[in-house]
Amino acid sequence: MHTPWQRLLIDRVIAGAAHGGGWGYRADASACAEPTAVACLALACHKVEPQRWVHGLESLARLQCSNGSVPVSAQVSSPGWPTGLCVLAWASAGSMTNRRYQTHVESATRWLLATRGRRLSPMPDIFGHDRTLQGWPWVEGTHSWLEPTAYAVLALRTCGQTSHPRVREAVRLLWDRVLPGGGWNYGNTRVLANTLRPFPATTGIALAALAGEPQVLQIDESIAYLTNELPRILSPFSLAWGLIGLTAWLSRPPESESWLAQCAARRVQHQANPLEDALLLMADLKSYPLTSVPDGDTHG
Amino acid sequence: MGDTGTAHATCAGGWKLSRREMLGVGGGLLVGGGIAAAFRQWTRHEHGLRADVFIGKASDYHVDLTGLIGEGLKTLGVTRRVIRGKRILLKPNLVETAVGLSHINTHPSVVLAAAQALRRLDAREVIVAEGQGHRRDSQLVLDESGMGQALDGAKITFVDLNHDELVEVRNTGRRTSLESLYLPQTLLSADWVVSIPKLKTHHWVGVTCAMKNLFGVMPGVVYGWPKNVLHWEGIDRAIMDINATVKPSFAIVDGIIGMEGDGPIMGSPKSVGCVIMGTNMTAVDATAVRVMGLHPYGLDYLTGASGWLGPIHEHNITQHGEPIEPLKTRFEVLDVPHLADVIEG
Repeated sequence: MHTPWQRLLIDRVIAGAAHGGGWGYRADASACAEPTAVACLALACHKVEPQRWVHGLESLARLQCSNGSVPVSAQVSSPGWPTGLCVLAWASAGSMTNRRYQTHVESATRWLLATRGRRLSPMPDIFGHDRTLQGWPWVEGTHSWLEPTAYAVLALRTCGQTSHPRVREAVRLLWDRVLPGGGWNYGNTRVLANTLRPFPATTGIALAALAGEPQVLQIDESIAYLTNELPRILSPFSLAWGLIGLTAWLSRPPESESWLAQCAARRVQHQANPLEDALLLMADLKSYPLTSVPDGDTHG
Repeated sequence: MGDTGTAHATCAGGWKLSRREMLGVGGGLLVGGGIAAAFRQWTRHEHGLRADVFIGKASDYHVDLTGLIGEGLKTLGVTRRVIRGKRILLKPNLVETAVGLSHINTHPSVVLAAAQALRRLDAREVIVAEGQGHRRDSQLVLDESGMGQALDGAKITFVDLNHDELVEVRNTGRRTSLESLYLPQTLLSADWVVSIPKLKTHHWVGVTCAMKNLFGVMPGVVYGWPKNVLHWEGIDRAIMDINATVKPSFAIVDGIIGMEGDGPIMGSPKSVGCVIMGTNMTAVDATAVRVMGLHPYGLDYLTGASGWLGPIHEHNITQHGEPIEPLKTRFEVLDVPHLADVIEG
């Protein structure tokens, strides 16, 4: 059974699909890879019947380039940073459909494993992080940053590649980018004289990607940072990713449901935003939502 | 990318840029003092470009900013006839927020005052739009900066430029290798784009003001968070390309409380007490740099824009409102080699 706000957001996401399939960053916008992948995952996690969202997986398949990458949208042929999220959607949500997306997953995985952030020479006087470690960039040919690296790790782990050297190096990169007091931002720790500040969303995303990895020193500080920050946050993107990250580390606060309900109540006063609505739905799952979707009956 | 000069900056993306390289002048040519003087004499002409800049005093954010901005618009010839019926996009600087640190971003009072002043001139619609460079989460940025509450109260729409519909346009600047730029549909559909930056130092390029503020119109879904593609292309060159392509119509600089030191994020508040306005970004920025007690010719993107996108030489900028000298307040700049020219000229 869904709570009233879950039902409302599910209906909004379903109704907010773009013409021709998939979802955009706004309900009236053209389809983009990221909101489409996350919407499919969220609806699948909430056991919504596949016919309501399989068009999203199909639109991602149509969007996929011959090299395996999935660009931001049909209007932009690169960059391919959403590819990791699409693998998650095809591999996880796709398992609930009659159509299998194995060839798309394999092609995308090959692209992920062949794509890496630019390795740079160490400049310890200027940058706090190890610039020689390679994860994934937002844009091919540039440096590795937190979100695309985390999405790629999540995708490759879902495909059974946890031990792949690229994943192991990316995990080292994520740990290397944690701030001394805990938490992550977009992927810098210190620049010139100052240590930078953490952000809730990227801290949650990093924690989600590192789920199941051996604990390091700053994990407690990172969890504490999120636990302290989230009660004041009414923004869906940050609250949802923060809770997903805490859930991944079995640190989900008991007040989470009320925070989400409050955030959703505010959210529905605004124009539908499929990505944010879907993230709130994923964050409401008490079990970690990014490894597989639950078995069981689906709901219309 | 070659490094042919002594003044250069290096950032997370690993780029290096020298002013000489950008100007296409050989590395040794500017070494001699006589040649440098000749260079300055040449730059003084700036292809005949001239611009007007208005400076208004504002001791804090509680003064009548709408009236002050209205006075500046009038002085600069921006009348009802110019604004009537236009769809206007205000672009504040909201790069990253931190609770209690309001000096990082454009103050909401300045944005509201600008909107009100332009509405009084019969603008058809005024919207606020930003594509933050560090934080993806626009709602959180709006909440933490107080901008969201302010805009809601004034019934002003905010558009997230990082996740807008995209249009590929020709890069008319071509100082970077990018042949085209992806720009938000909302930006391109505006009749008037107004850059509303915070007056801040910048640890890579020296100063961030009206021109650098336009990094925030570049969509993160294409350029990343941070917008690392533009770093690799050279921040200074990217600033020029974006300004040449977007062609903003007006600038209103929040110089009431700025930021010095390790800007644009980690610096300290610096009280100046002024608002700087103008129709030419290059002239506005050069004036702002002078108010900060720094040297416009020490900024690569200003020397690169000089005589092309606008004037930076003080002889080519007609000053209105308050004069610069009484307001001049020396901003501390990081003591790093690549910013030496900004301090010393």
